[in-house]
Amino acid sequence: MNPDSLLPLPTAVFHILIALADRNRHGYSIMQDVAARTEGKVQLSAGTLYSSIRRMLEQGLIDELAESPDPSSTDERRRYYRLTRFGKRAAAAEVARLNAMVQQARATGLVPGA
Amino acid sequence: MRAPVVYRALLHCYPAAFRNEYGNQMLLTFAEQLGEARRTGGPLEQAALWVHATLDALTIAPKEHWHVILQDLRYALRIMAASPSFTAVAILSLALGIGANTAIFTLWNGVLRSSLPAVHKPEQLVMLSNPDDAGMWTGRWDGRTDGPRSWLTYCEFEQLRDHADSFSAMMASQSSLDNWQVRLEGGGWEEVSGRLVSGGFFQVLGVGSAIGRVFTTAEDRAETPYAVISYNYWQRRFGGRPDVLGKTLTMRKTALTIIGVAEPGFIGETSGQQPDVWISLRMQPRVIPGRDWLHDTPPVKAMWLNVFGRLKPGVTPAYAEAQANALFQAGLESFYGAAATGERRREYLDQRLRIQPGARGASETRHEFSHSLTALLAAVGVLLLIACANLANLLLARGAARRPEIALRLSLGASRGRLMRQMVTESLALAALGGMAGLAAAWLLHGALVRMMAESNPSFHMSFALDPLVLAFALAVTLAAALLSGVLPAWQVTKHDAGATLKEQGRGGSLGRMRSGRFLVSLQLALSLPLLVGAGLLARTVYNLQRADLGFPAERLLLVRVDLREAASDTARRNGLLGELRGELQQIPGVRAASFSELGVFSGGESSDTIEVEGYAAKGDNDRGSAVDMVGPGYFSALGVPIALGREVLESDHAGAPKVCVINEAFAKRFFDGRNPIGMRITWVDEDKRTAYQVVGVARNARTKGLRGDVEPRYFVAAAQSASAVSSPFFLIRTAMETAPVMAAVRKRIERVNAAIPILSARTIEERMAPLTAQDRTTAQLAVVFGCVALTLAAIGLYGVLSYGIARRKGEIAVRIALGAQPGRVISMILGETIGLVIAGLTVGGGLAYAASRLITSRLYGVAPQDPLTFVLAAGLLVAVAIGAAYLPARRASRLDPMAALRQE
Repeated sequence: MNPDSLLPLPTAVFHILIALADRNRHGYSIMQDVAARTEGKVQLSAGTLYSSIRRMLEQGLIDELAESPDPSSTDERRRYYRLTRFGKRAAAAEVARLNAMVQQARATGLVPGA
Repeated sequence: MRAPVVYRALLHCYPAAFRNEYGNQMLLTFAEQLGEARRTGGPLEQAALWVHATLDALTIAPKEHWHVILQDLRYALRIMAASPSFTAVAILSLALGIGANTAIFTLWNGVLRSSLPAVHKPEQLVMLSNPDDAGMWTGRWDGRTDGPRSWLTYCEFEQLRDHADSFSAMMASQSSLDNWQVRLEGGGWEEVSGRLVSGGFFQVLGVGSAIGRVFTTAEDRAETPYAVISYNYWQRRFGGRPDVLGKTLTMRKTALTIIGVAEPGFIGETSGQQPDVWISLRMQPRVIPGRDWLHDTPPVKAMWLNVFGRLKPGVTPAYAEAQANALFQAGLESFYGAAATGERRREYLDQRLRIQPGARGASETRHEFSHSLTALLAAVGVLLLIACANLANLLLARGAARRPEIALRLSLGASRGRLMRQMVTESLALAALGGMAGLAAAWLLHGALVRMMAESNPSFHMSFALDPLVLAFALAVTLAAALLSGVLPAWQVTKHDAGATLKEQGRGGSLGRMRSGRFLVSLQLALSLPLLVGAGLLARTVYNLQRADLGFPAERLLLVRVDLREAASDTARRNGLLGELRGELQQIPGVRAASFSELGVFSGGESSDTIEVEGYAAKGDNDRGSAVDMVGPGYFSALGVPIALGREVLESDHAGAPKVCVINEAFAKRFFDGRNPIGMRITWVDEDKRTAYQVVGVARNARTKGLRGDVEPRYFVAAAQSASAVSSPFFLIRTAMETAPVMAAVRKRIERVNAAIPILSARTIEERMAPLTAQDRTTAQLAVVFGCVALTLAAIGLYGVLSYGIARRKGEIAVRIALGAQPGRVISMILGETIGLVIAGLTVGGGLAYAASRLITSRLYGVAPQDPLTFVLAAGLLVAVAIGAAYLPARRASRLDPMAALRQE
């Protein structure tokens, strides 16, 4: 599938992709990461998070890990997710889209250029 | 900890599949968020989390549901596309069921329920006359009609309009729709339908004009030669050109100027009729000359108007009714005051008005059709049930074919609820398509239905309107069909133990599923039987009606009605004219006999009088009346009614001769009961006026009024000797050949006698009689069609269930054949299994048919509701079709190649 067909990515989805970029995480960890990176401005709710995860799994943007990557964790109920290659391509496409828009905004003088 | 319990409850807003998959994770995450908030934040942060969770349940959960619905729909469409023949049969059977229901409901709604179209706030309208009746009664009130008054006279209307202050406005309209011969500027004579209405007609109904103006109350004060035409007529006849205003329309000798076109969609105050032209009531003496319907001249009243009004705010109908009746009574008192005394007077004054809701307007058809329509609605309801049972059966059979797939999905963890939801979505998608096709079918059927209804009532007209109620009905029927046909198969198919199904895949039919299929087939057969029996009874009714013994030959008879009022003003001249016309008509080649009578045959007119019969002691007031007709010389021989005793009315019975009459057998039986009537006297009584006629003959009973019921007592006086003059008689012309060429000659001869005699109608006896049986024919035709559809659906159901059952039992049958069973034995084995289904269906269906046939008793003629022959024939037909449907799969089974079948196993 062409990642362009998914653009623009919903904000929550993009945040989740970013959160999973450096390591595999479970749901609550994704939530904490997003909140930390945005200094608390973006607070994903459980509903938004899992509704997005459901869609991203169907679209193949992420995968669920078969077993917990953290053997020390005693909590076996947690499910972990990781970015797929397609997910990476979709994130890259979204970044390119946003970049292009930023450049257009600068080129027209809407915002000051860097 | 109460938090997890509450959160779990919130999770129930999400689809079960989503909840099962992510519910625990969400709960876990939420618990951590809540813990974090407790540690670092305050109660405010915790509250914010709950608000978020609630908002999620309200916004995210519906999206998740929508996602599942779309997924199921896509899946359903894929499945439908994969088996096009199944899909076509399913949609077709639903379309038949839904279409028939919607069409009949539209008609039922239009005739019996809906408000007058284009009328402003119809719910505020009230009627002071009888909404279900149209017509005219001239003559004195004879006290035989009990209960509220049907129609009002013009004077009574004026009195109420001017003095009843409970009403903010009141108007009157001619209760029956007339057909008028009119001439448009520069054109020839053409027929329009029209109605005389009072000046307040449009104002009370709250209807304006599309162009020009409508009548105002000024029209009630003087004769104004104006006409308002309907939008429909404007479009049809004048192509919607605005220059129609100012054009003249000539009726009789009066030129009427078209002053306006009524609003589009407006049909007037009577549902089911669409007049072309409205003319002011005050113009009656001009456009219908020779009659005075605007004045009450004691003791004669012309009752012919429907009266509508709107109540003033705050006035209750009861109060308005009391006030209107007080005025009405005062009017009666002064009218009859001088003309009657004693008992008679008390009888005359025993009349009252009733105020009834007027939102639905007046309607002749409502009453006439209500019984048939309600019965038809019940019949199509049953048809829909059969269609649903059929679809359920098809879905069951197909569900069984998908059992391996479903078992696999169940074993992979899909919940049963999820699978059922998906299967019900499939039947919903099928029903939605069936519903759309059904609407198209309803539209087609509606046109046919209206045409059929117009046969019995030519002024009946109704367009197909998809009003919200009809749409809601169609939607409800579609949903009901989807659920009725979808839930049971979904339940059945997902019921089985997944492991067992996977293991036994392809072997033997599951007993449970077979049981539901067999039950559904029995149900279909049971429901079909009442429809077939009803169709049979109604068909026999029509057959009997069309062959009813009238007492005279119902062919080669012309009935031509003329109006003598303008051509001859007094009785003597009219009698002379009648004789001249009769003589002229008898000379037409091909005419065997001609005579005339005031009422004609099957004209709808009726006349009755108060009489005293010599030697008969009347048992009370209701025992003094008899129907009467005024007939010309040779009436009985022209009509072909044999004289049983004495003689008929002859030319020698002229005005100066002794007054004579002929009675029918029913009259003789009732009033003379065994005595010899010849020579006895019948005295016509009207207050102080008495006229005695001597009975000179007894005629055999003849049906001249209606086909049903007993022939009522009637006496026939010689027209020339009658106390009241014949004004618009029917000529009865018996021909020896085809009637068509004679008809043209008849018109010519009448014109030759006097060009001022208008021909009001010219019909053959067949044309006169067609409306009498039209409604029965319509109902019977529909019942037969529905019966056939039901039978076809039942046959499809039976065929489907047996085919499937045999396919599942291939192995067993193959073994039997391999062990030497003959094909005949296999066939009889399978047919034997069918017999049980058929017997169960017939037993239940027989009970249903017995109950249903009682409901249509009043519509039957010459056949008992429990007529054994009809029941046996219907049951026989059902058995024959059932065996036919079962035979095909049975024969296929008997030709099974055992080796191939067993290898497949």
